[in-house]
Amino acid sequence: MASTSAFSSADDVVDRRLTVVPQSATDASDLPVRYETARCCGWIQDRNFQKVALQFPDELLVDAAAVQWEIQKMVTASVFILGDTSYGSCCVDEVAAEHYQADCIIHFGPTCLSPTRRLPVLYVLFAQPVDTQDAADQFQVLFPDQQSKVILMADTVYHHAVEPLFQRLKESYTNVVSSYLRFPDSDSSSHDEIKEDSKDAVPQEERSSCDHCKCNRHFHLPQDSCLDEYSIFYIGSEGLALTNLMMTLNRCAFFTYCPCSRTGRKETLNVNKALMKRYYMIERAKDASIVGIVVGTLGVAHTQDMISYLKTLLRSAGKKSYTFVVGKLNPAKLGNFMEVDVFVLVACPQNSLLDSREFYRPIVTPFEMDVACNQAREWTGDYVTDFLQLLPGAAHHIPMQMAVPDSTDVSLISNKLRSMGQRTTAEGDDQGSTAVVLRSEAMAVTTVSAETAGEFLSARSWRGLERKLGETPVEKAKEGRSGIALGYENEPQ
Amino acid sequence: MRHPRHIRNMAVIAHVDHGKTTLTDSLLARAGMIAATQAGDKRATDTRPDEQEKGITIKSTVVSLYYQVDKQVLTHVSESPTVSNEFLVNLVDSPGHVDFSPEVTAALRITDGAMVVVDAISGVCVQTETVLRQALAERIKPVLVINKVDRAIFEKQLEPEELFQSLKAVVDKVNAVVSTYSEDDSPMGSLLLDPCLGNVVFASGLHGWAFGLRNFARRYSAKFKVPEDKLMKRLWGNSFYDPKTRKWSQVQTDGSVRGFNKFILEPLMMLLRASKAGEVEQTSQLLTKLDLHLSAEEMEEAGGKNLMRMAMKHWLPAADAMLEMIITCLPSPALAQTYRTQCLYEGPLDDAAAVAMCNCDPEGPLMMYVSKMVPASDKGRFYAVGRVFSGVVSSGLNVRIMGPDYKPDSGKSKDLYLKKLSGVKLLMGATVGSLEEAPCGSIVGLVGVDKYLAKTGTITTFEHAHNIKVLKFSVSPVVRAAVDVVKPSDLAKLVEGMRRLSKSDPMVQCTTDGGQYVVAGAGELHLEICLKDLELVHAGVPIKKSEPIVRYCETVSSPSDRVCLAKSGNKLNRLYMSAAPLPDGLPEAIDEAVVSASQKVKERAHFLSENFAFDPNEAHKIWCFGPNGSGPNMLLDTSFAVQHMQDIRDAVVAGFQWATSEGVLCEETMRGVRINLTDATIHSDPAHRGGGQIIPTTRRAIFASMLTAQPRLLEPVFLVEVQCTDDVIGGAMGVIAHRRGQIVEEVHQADSPLCIIRAHMPVNEGFGFTEELRGSTGGKAFPQCVFDHWQVMPGDPLEPSSRAGVIVSQVRQRKGLSVSAPGLDNYLDKL
Repeated sequence: MASTSAFSSADDVVDRRLTVVPQSATDASDLPVRYETARCCGWIQDRNFQKVALQFPDELLVDAAAVQWEIQKMVTASVFILGDTSYGSCCVDEVAAEHYQADCIIHFGPTCLSPTRRLPVLYVLFAQPVDTQDAADQFQVLFPDQQSKVILMADTVYHHAVEPLFQRLKESYTNVVSSYLRFPDSDSSSHDEIKEDSKDAVPQEERSSCDHCKCNRHFHLPQDSCLDEYSIFYIGSEGLALTNLMMTLNRCAFFTYCPCSRTGRKETLNVNKALMKRYYMIERAKDASIVGIVVGTLGVAHTQDMISYLKTLLRSAGKKSYTFVVGKLNPAKLGNFMEVDVFVLVACPQNSLLDSREFYRPIVTPFEMDVACNQAREWTGDYVTDFLQLLPGAAHHIPMQMAVPDSTDVSLISNKLRSMGQRTTAEGDDQGSTAVVLRSEAMAVTTVSAETAGEFLSARSWRGLERKLGETPVEKAKEGRSGIALGYENEPQ
Repeated sequence: MRHPRHIRNMAVIAHVDHGKTTLTDSLLARAGMIAATQAGDKRATDTRPDEQEKGITIKSTVVSLYYQVDKQVLTHVSESPTVSNEFLVNLVDSPGHVDFSPEVTAALRITDGAMVVVDAISGVCVQTETVLRQALAERIKPVLVINKVDRAIFEKQLEPEELFQSLKAVVDKVNAVVSTYSEDDSPMGSLLLDPCLGNVVFASGLHGWAFGLRNFARRYSAKFKVPEDKLMKRLWGNSFYDPKTRKWSQVQTDGSVRGFNKFILEPLMMLLRASKAGEVEQTSQLLTKLDLHLSAEEMEEAGGKNLMRMAMKHWLPAADAMLEMIITCLPSPALAQTYRTQCLYEGPLDDAAAVAMCNCDPEGPLMMYVSKMVPASDKGRFYAVGRVFSGVVSSGLNVRIMGPDYKPDSGKSKDLYLKKLSGVKLLMGATVGSLEEAPCGSIVGLVGVDKYLAKTGTITTFEHAHNIKVLKFSVSPVVRAAVDVVKPSDLAKLVEGMRRLSKSDPMVQCTTDGGQYVVAGAGELHLEICLKDLELVHAGVPIKKSEPIVRYCETVSSPSDRVCLAKSGNKLNRLYMSAAPLPDGLPEAIDEAVVSASQKVKERAHFLSENFAFDPNEAHKIWCFGPNGSGPNMLLDTSFAVQHMQDIRDAVVAGFQWATSEGVLCEETMRGVRINLTDATIHSDPAHRGGGQIIPTTRRAIFASMLTAQPRLLEPVFLVEVQCTDDVIGGAMGVIAHRRGQIVEEVHQADSPLCIIRAHMPVNEGFGFTEELRGSTGGKAFPQCVFDHWQVMPGDPLEPSSRAGVIVSQVRQRKGLSVSAPGLDNYLDKL
C-alpha cells in the first residue's frame, strides 16, 4: 500500500520474498479446462465488457500470463491481470481493478464469497477433482448409523462434488442434507449459470423458514428439526474456510474428508476452548481504552458502513478509536502503534479470525467488539464471523444500547476496576476534544478526561526533537535524504 | 452512644477451633440478638450453610452490638470522660484457618482492638502467632481470652496448681509473642497481658461462662476490706494466703495457698463438679453462698448436664466478663485513631483528612475505608463494609470513591468515581438494618458503591484526600484451578460469576489468561470454597474444574554464555542482550517494594550497590522493572555511547514488559532475571526504529538471552507447620519427606506434649497433604501451610525428560502451545 511503497524503491520490491510456495505451471493443454476459459469468454461476450480484470491468488500467478493470453485470444475486450492482492486473496480486489477502470472482474481460485460493491464478478472456483465413491465410503465409515442427521458441505474448490455425493448417499441415508453455495448478489446477472444449477437442487416450494444460510452455504432442513442436531460432513482440507465454518456452526460436530489424502476424520479442534479463547479477546476489548480499527479489506461491500458503525460503537462506549489502513497485517506494522490497546480487524469472514499471539496487541473481530461494547448483546454461545450480519438490518444486528455513563466492572485481566460507558469527568467539566494534550508553562500535563493517544505520547520518555523555537538561525531548505532505509544515497558510509 | 468514646471496634482472632465463634455467641446473646439458651451452640456468626456444616468460619462477620453496662464497670474504663453507660461494640468474628487469613487482615483494618482466643489445652498455636503479628502490625491492641478451661479441669483432671501453671504458661507465651512483634515504645502503651490488669479472661465458651480476676476481686473486696485493684494483684501470680494467720505473703510458706487457687479455682471447681454431677442440692447451697438464687424449678428443669451450664451462666456469665474487658481495656476509636492515623493514611499528616482522622472528628470531612464486601440481598450486589474514620456517613451523601490506583491531585480521574450513597446499613451478622447516618468510629455497610470498587478502597468527601493504605496480606494466591463451562453459551455467566467471586473475597484472584479461566486462592481449602461459591452462588451454571495447579515462574541460573543478537524485522536495527540471575534476596526486596520503580534513582542505586553488590554505574542505569512495571525482573542499559538509545527506550521497555509477563519456556511470568542491553545498532531514521520494529526484536533478544543462560523453573514452596503430639512425629515426618518436604526445625514445647515441626514443601506436593497427614497420624497432627518462597526446580526444563521439562510441556499443553519449548534458533539472529 501507499505507506510502504513510499519508502521502497523498485529494486526493493524485486528483492522482497513472498511467502507462498508457487505451484508449477499448468500444462498448456489443461489450461482451458482448469481455468474454464470458455465460460469466461462467454460471460465477457454476453455482457459486452470492455475491460476485464483477472484476479489470481498468489500461488496461481504462474499461470496468469497463459490464462490471460488464452482469454485475450477469444475476446475483443482488453484483458489484464491484477497483481498480488493487498489483503486476502479470497476477496475480490475491486479497488485494484478500479485503478485500471475495469468494468468486470474474473476471480480465480478459493473465495470467501463476500459480496462486492460495484463490479460484476465471475467466480471460477478452480474445481479440484474429488473421488465421490471414496468420499461416500469414508462417509459410511464415519456415520455407521443410517439415520444420522448430516449436512454436506465443502470447500469452494470441491463444492462441485457435494451434489454427486448427495445423490449417492440419499438412497441409504434418509436424513442427509445437501448444501449449495450462495454467490453474492451484488449483481445478480453476473453468475446466474451457477445459480440456476443450485436452484435445481432445491426446488422452489421447499424454500421455507427452515432455510439456513451460514457462511454463504445454503441448506434446507426439514421443518421439525433444529440445526444443533446435525453433524457436518465437510469436503476439503484444514484451512481458514473450515475454521470459519466451525466457529459459526459451533454446536455441530464436524467430520472432514480430505480429497488429497483421501482420508476422513472427526475434527477434534475443541470448539469450546476456541470460544473461550475468543471470549478472552472480548475481555481484552473491554479493557481497552484506545482501539485501532484496522481495515483488512476494501473489496467487501459495506466495509465503510462497518467502520463507521464501529466508530459510533466505540465512541459511545467511551473508547477512543483510530482507523488504520496497512495492507496485509504483520506484527511490525501494528507494533508501531504502541498506544493502541486492542485492534479490531474489519475483513472478510475467513480472514477475520486471526491468531494474534505474535502481535504486540490482540486483534479482535467486529463481533467481539460488539459483544464488548454493546450492552444489549448477550453472549449466547453463537459466534458471528461475518460482519455484514452485525450491520443494521441484518440477522444478527442488535440495536446499540450503551452502558449507563460511569458504569463499571472488574477486569479479569488486571483484576482492576474499569469503566464501561462514557466517563463523566470527576470534576464535572467536559474538556472537549482531548486528542491534543495541552502543556502548561511548567510542562505539566493538564487535565485530560479520557485516555487518548495524545496522553500516551505525553508520557513517553522520548518526545521527539527539541524545536528550540527562535534559538536557531533561519536557514534555507536543504535537500534531504533519498533512497531506501538500508542505505540512503547521500548517507556517509 | 453515638459518642466515639462509647464505641469499641474489635475483632475476635485465634487459631482454628479455639472457640472464637462460640464465644461470640455469648456476646450476641447478651445483646439480645440470639436466645441465651442457644449461645454456644448456634454459632450465629457462621452465617453460611457450609460454615455451619463444616464447623469452621470462612468469612468474617460483622455484628454491631448495643450494651448497657453496670455503673461499676464504668469506673474502670481507662478513657474518660464517659457520659453514659451505653456502649456500641462492633464485633468482627474472623476465621481461624490460615487459608482465610486475608479475612482476618480485612477485619483488623476496621477495628481497634482484638480479642485473642487461646485454647487452654493446646495453647498458643501457629495461627495464634500469625494473627497476633498481623494485629500488632496494624496497631491493634490485644486482650486475651483463655478458652476451654472446663476441658482442662474435666478432661485433663488438672489440680488447681497444675491448672494455674498451665494458664500462666499460656499468658507468658502470648506475652512473648506480643513483645516479639510489637514496636518498641508502642504508641498503644503497654501491651502486657496480665490478669491483674483485667485484660485476660478465663472462659468456657461452650458452657457460656467466663471470669476475669475482677469478678472475684469485686466479690471479695467487701469481705477482706481491701480495694478491688489491690486485691486483684493478690489473686494471680506469686501471692500466697495463709488461712491460719490470714496473712498474704510473696513466698509460699507451709500451709499457705496461692491466692488464685484458693479464692478462684477452689470455688470454681467445687461448683463445676457439683453441678456436673447433677447434685441439685449441693449446687443450690453453693450458689446461695455466692448470693445467687436459682429457683428449685429452674434447677429441676435444667437437670443433668444443663445444670452446670445453668449454674455457671448464672454465676459467671461469659458475656459480662468479656464485655467488661472489652470496654475497659480496649481503646475507643477516638483514642486508637490518634496513633493509627499515621500508619493508615498515605497523604501528609497535616492535611484536613489526616487531622480529622487523628481527632476522630465528626465535623471533619468523611474518611472511610472499605475493607471487604458482603453479599447483599439482591443477587450479585454487595454491601461495602468499612470503618468510618472521620466525618459522618449518611444516605444520599455525594462521595468520592477512590480505588487503590487513584493518584490524588494528579488531575486524572483514574480509579475515582463521584457517586451518591444509596444507603447506610447497620450490620447484624446474617441481617442488616437501615441507618440514616453513622458517625466516625462506626463500622457500617454502604449500599451503591460496590460497583465502583474492585475489592477495597477509600471513601471521602474531601477533594484532596489521599488514599488509606491498601491491605497487605500475609498469604499469596499460589494454588489455582482452571475452570471451564459445560455449555459454551454459559461462558458469559461464568465470567460474570468470576467477577462477583473476586469481589466477595479479599484474596481470591480470578483471571483469564489466553482463553484459560483461572481461580487462584491461598490454599486448597480456600480454593475449594471459592470454586463452590462460583458454581453455586455467583455463576449459577455447571462448571468443569481442573485439578489444583500451581503457578510457576521462569528464571535463569547463570549468566548467558554469549551476547545474543536479534535483528529487527526490517534488518535495520540490532539489539545485543544478555541475561543473568538477580542476586539472592533481590526479587523478594522488589516484591516488598524495598527496591522499586518509584524510588529515586540515586537512592536505589546506592541501596543496590550497598546491599546487592551492584556496579554503581550500572545501578544508575536501570531502565525498568517488569512485568507490569514493578515485577521482580530488571532491564539495565549497560551499553556505552550508542546513538539514539534513548529514542528506542520506550519500545524496549514495552518489549521487556511483554517478555517478562510471558516467558520463553511456557509463557509463565519471569522472576529474578536481569537483562542487560549491552549494545545496539539503531537506524538513524525514526520511521525505521518504531515500536513495530523494536518491540518484537526486544522480546526475541530477551528470549534468546534466557535460553543461553541456563533457564530454570521456579516453583512456590509452602512453609508447613505441623503441630502434633510426640508419639506421631515419625509418621508426620514420613509424610512430609515423601512429599519432597525438607524439615527446617522441630520445636518441643517445654511443658506440653505438643511438638511443632516446620518444613518447606513444594506447593505442588501440598495437594491432599492435610488428609494424608491426618490419616497417617490418626488425626493427631494439624498442619498449616503458608506460601513462603520460590525455589528452583531441579533439572533443565529444556530437557523434556527432566522433572522441570515435564512440567514445561504440561503447562504448554494446557495453554494450547506446541508441546516442547521453542529452540534458540527461533530467537537468535546471526550477524
